[in-house]
Amino acid sequence: MPETPSDTLLTMRQISKRFGATHALRNVNFEVKSGQVLALVGENGAGKSTLMKVLSGAHRPDSGEMLLDGNRYAPSGPHDALLSGVCMIYQELNLAPDLSIEDNIMLGREVSNFGLLDRRTQRSRIQEALVTLGHPNLRPETPVRYLSVASQQLVEVARALVFESKIVVFDEPTSSLTRSDVQNLFKVIKQLKEKGLGIIYISHFLEEVQEIGDAYAVLRDGESVGSGSLEGISEEEIVRLMVGRNVQDLFPAVPHTAGESIISISDLTGTKIPRDVNLEIRRGEILGISGLVGSGRTELLRCLYGLNSIRRGEIKVNHVTTHPTPARMIRQGVGIVSEDRKQEGLAQTCSITDNITLSNMSPYAKFGFLNLSQRQQSMRNWMQKLHVKAHSPEQPLIELSGGNQQKVALARVMHQQADVYLFDEPTRGIDVGTKSEIYRLMGELAAQNKAIVFVSSYLTELLAICDRIAVMSRGQLLEVRPRADWTEESLMSVAISGEAI
Amino acid sequence: MKRFAVLLLALALFGCSEANHSGTGPNGEKIYRLAVIPKGTTHEFWKSVHYGAEQAAKEIGNVEIVWRGPQLENDRKGQISVVQNFIGSVDGMVLAPLDSQALVSPVSQVVDQGIPVLIFDSGLNDTSKIVSYVATDNYKGGALAARRMGEILNGEGDVILLRYNEGSESTQQREEGFLETLKEEFPNINILSSDQYAGTTPQSSLSKAKQMLDTFKNEVDGIFAVCEPNAAGTLQALKDLNLTGKVKLVAFDPNAELVAGLSNDSVHGIVLQDPVAMGYKSVKNLIAHMQGEEVEQRIDTGEFVATPENKDEERMQELLHPPQFGE
Amino acid sequence: MSSKETKPSPSESTTEPGALRRFFRRIDFSKGLAQFGVLVLIMLFFSVAEWLVTGRTSFSTSFNIIMMASQASTIAIAALGMTIIIIAGGIDLSVGTAIALCGTVCAWFLREDYGAAVAIPLTLLTGVVCGAVNGMLISFLRVVPFIITLGTMSLFLGIGKLLSGSTTVRPDESSQVPHWLSNFATTSADTTILGLPPGVWTLLAIAVLTYLFLRYSVFSRYIFALGSNESTARLCGINIPLTKIALYALAGFFVGLAGMYQFSELSEGSPTDGVGLELKVIAAVVIGGGSLNGGRGTVQGTLIGSYLIFVIDNGCTKIGLPNHLTDITLGVIIITAVAIDQWRQRRLERS
Repeated sequence: MPETPSDTLLTMRQISKRFGATHALRNVNFEVKSGQVLALVGENGAGKSTLMKVLSGAHRPDSGEMLLDGNRYAPSGPHDALLSGVCMIYQELNLAPDLSIEDNIMLGREVSNFGLLDRRTQRSRIQEALVTLGHPNLRPETPVRYLSVASQQLVEVARALVFESKIVVFDEPTSSLTRSDVQNLFKVIKQLKEKGLGIIYISHFLEEVQEIGDAYAVLRDGESVGSGSLEGISEEEIVRLMVGRNVQDLFPAVPHTAGESIISISDLTGTKIPRDVNLEIRRGEILGISGLVGSGRTELLRCLYGLNSIRRGEIKVNHVTTHPTPARMIRQGVGIVSEDRKQEGLAQTCSITDNITLSNMSPYAKFGFLNLSQRQQSMRNWMQKLHVKAHSPEQPLIELSGGNQQKVALARVMHQQADVYLFDEPTRGIDVGTKSEIYRLMGELAAQNKAIVFVSSYLTELLAICDRIAVMSRGQLLEVRPRADWTEESLMSVAISGEAI
Repeated sequence: MKRFAVLLLALALFGCSEANHSGTGPNGEKIYRLAVIPKGTTHEFWKSVHYGAEQAAKEIGNVEIVWRGPQLENDRKGQISVVQNFIGSVDGMVLAPLDSQALVSPVSQVVDQGIPVLIFDSGLNDTSKIVSYVATDNYKGGALAARRMGEILNGEGDVILLRYNEGSESTQQREEGFLETLKEEFPNINILSSDQYAGTTPQSSLSKAKQMLDTFKNEVDGIFAVCEPNAAGTLQALKDLNLTGKVKLVAFDPNAELVAGLSNDSVHGIVLQDPVAMGYKSVKNLIAHMQGEEVEQRIDTGEFVATPENKDEERMQELLHPPQFGE
Repeated sequence: MSSKETKPSPSESTTEPGALRRFFRRIDFSKGLAQFGVLVLIMLFFSVAEWLVTGRTSFSTSFNIIMMASQASTIAIAALGMTIIIIAGGIDLSVGTAIALCGTVCAWFLREDYGAAVAIPLTLLTGVVCGAVNGMLISFLRVVPFIITLGTMSLFLGIGKLLSGSTTVRPDESSQVPHWLSNFATTSADTTILGLPPGVWTLLAIAVLTYLFLRYSVFSRYIFALGSNESTARLCGINIPLTKIALYALAGFFVGLAGMYQFSELSEGSPTDGVGLELKVIAAVVIGGGSLNGGRGTVQGTLIGSYLIFVIDNGCTKIGLPNHLTDITLGVIIITAVAIDQWRQRRLERS
């Protein structure tokens, strides 16, 4: 493709956006050409989603300008963006489940004559789009509820065609698709390319990026740190751009050795998932659990902690059979960091102090009443220890950044002096620096002979810091092996295929 | 808690100013500010009382009426608050107590602050501190209803008494007057039921009256409804059950529908009070007392029976359609 | 289209907020200070308005100010209990009929000659039982408190009618009701201590205890956590059903006390006397900065909220405003309080 300026579909120039004191985006530059798949990569919290929200009009940039097809582009909101030619396809699809394919596509832009729907014109346009995408078998009147995730995604792509979009943004489109669906999606993307659309493709899976992308752009801490053609750049180089340091620095190693078993799980079956899980959790070890979202990783931790009910199976803590409830597990020395900080993990309107001490107030309580100054003093120490940045221990949690909130969640389980730490996606949505601190903390805990169970979707971190890694798929725990026996590819293939190697 | 201490301090500062009990008119003569407190503010009856009170104020000249009832009908606590809240801001008070017991202590509080209180419409258990009691003789009203009932039924038949609400002094006396007069003067009239309370609204009366009439529909010849909302509900119940005319209805206090019922054989008697006179005499007597005159302890405002036969007489028309304040 | 779309809002811009907005941001509506300011302003308003309209100054007398406090004490006591419930993210619509039931129980035992030593403890116990019933139904049926207490509202009314035989229960005032009880909340009686009736002193003492409870007790931390995020509370090993039952029972104790106040005010008990009271109680908490989303509410705020309701009623009466204007004024103030709470909530979420 000739590299002339007229080929450039979208230009974002010097985009900045601040939320309070934090710079979410700082002078980001960005360009997408016609017929190009641009892979936008970066760690969680690097600013990808903020940048895309600026593009879709959900956020207004503090400074900078955008050009679409050579014209100034400043959408007032997502709908305006769609009408201007920018279509977003999110990880969590944006469809009304009870409306038909047709109604979903046309929502907000119904073709009408004097207020009456012109269904015939509408339907022929949609049919055309579905044919272009290679799925003439989908019927426009089917309610979206009955479609598979992959087909639902297709409906969103069809919307882009019907609205004659110029730019289509895919945000983590493959995270809940099977391998063959991913290949079908790639075919669709190639068709869009051929029609001369510009594609922005956001993904964590670098091998996918290599497969489908033409060019890349890397964001880190809200800044553009690199871009160019994907030809001739290795995955490792991209990772280095993403994390901004060598992999060894991101994952500090704290030496530790595995000790005796502290929890043994046999044939554990929950209400739906997990199914028949057998697992040994050992002191002095970081045990990783990998798998797709919905594979039962989270549910396994929740059953173990007594948050989900158990249908069958046995859990032994220190060789004693236990029927888990949260209170009992806390007494047995088990602590959990929930994957959902906002909805479950932390009481957002309560103070840091309350959040940390909620599971263990006995050190400060006498006859049911608290010694507040003693408690506050102790909290200062904890905040210092974990580098929690806040004005005071009495600050409500809602005012803290994601990383600092996560540290509070970690502080709580450490404060309750747990021996077993169940970490569910502890590094999601926080900055690189905090991630690194959390990895070090996990190593230190292991070195103190604690047991750690680490659930994550991010394969790189699992492979970097775990001693053993288990893979779950469709509710079953398939394989547990030492880290050295795994690669990202083998983890992924077991997770997707559901078959042990 | 520190802030709370500040609050108390500020309240104490407020307290430093003391009341001054005077109001003067343009010509320098004393203006009497009177609170008139009905049991509620929405019934037509009270609007006529209000009319009478304003009439009296206009006649006397230097009197200002402050009309205010409890926020909700039948809200005793609310009426107590209203009574207490007027302490210091009026020169006299005219009150129709919602409860003969609960209002005793607030009234004595008001009197202790030097404000004379006159009670109207319903009595108070402790009359030692009040100026006078201006009311219909409710017992006599109940007796009139009994005589009218006996007259329609020719001294024979089965009747139902539908009571109003627990703790309401005035209706209780009507109920007693009715029952005792029937017993004495019409021994052949049998009381089917006299222990049911219809409640304070036309809705509650409708459902209660329906239940009663349905239970006794084969025997009942007459029904006495002791007040206006009660009678409104009962009339509706008679219509719903197709019993109008067959079951004779004697009501207490009029409304438009009950008055119309006198002409179409669905209502056979309405005991009438004189609300205008009640408001008028209350204000007149309170002012008289405040100007040092002797006032009678008990003032009767009269009670009357409107029937299909006499309803067109001039006096009856006046009582059936009493003027209302604000019309 | 997208349900998640967030509208860009002007306050996200980097421009410095105006002086007025900065001033409003600094006021903390949850601690009761702002409400105190509003209360003082409204009282000043009524003082001046009364003088202008009627030429009298009876509003700002110590007599009137203390009398309003004693009028407010029934609501205030119940509202302190409601504050605990609202902090825990709950609500109790049955509070009005429960107060009336407690008042009726008190009257019934006095009338049957059991004496105050039996009647008062049983009144308080009735309140605790009512609360515990609410808590148990909410915990075991797992239905939202709004619906459960809507049901028990009618239930308590019915039980009250059953007990009283559907009439007003009147003990004989001179022989059956002890002197201290009938003058418990009366301003002009000889029972006042340092100018305040014992009922107001009791209220203040209870308020201080509640304040200490909400600040220092371990249990109160569970209540705040429960109201802020029930899932978190569960995660931290708090026994949620037990906590709910205990806190509703505790609030029930306040209801029992309020029932005693109600009895001493009316010197009789009627099960229908509490209908509508729940709205005043909830309004007092909301005006005082309690959040119906849970997690927030203070003793100071609730006391001021309760007082404010009676100040408005009193002031409007003194000026001689018609009844409907009192209703409207109170409504406007409640809505303003809720609006400020929502505004504050959004501001927090945005930052």
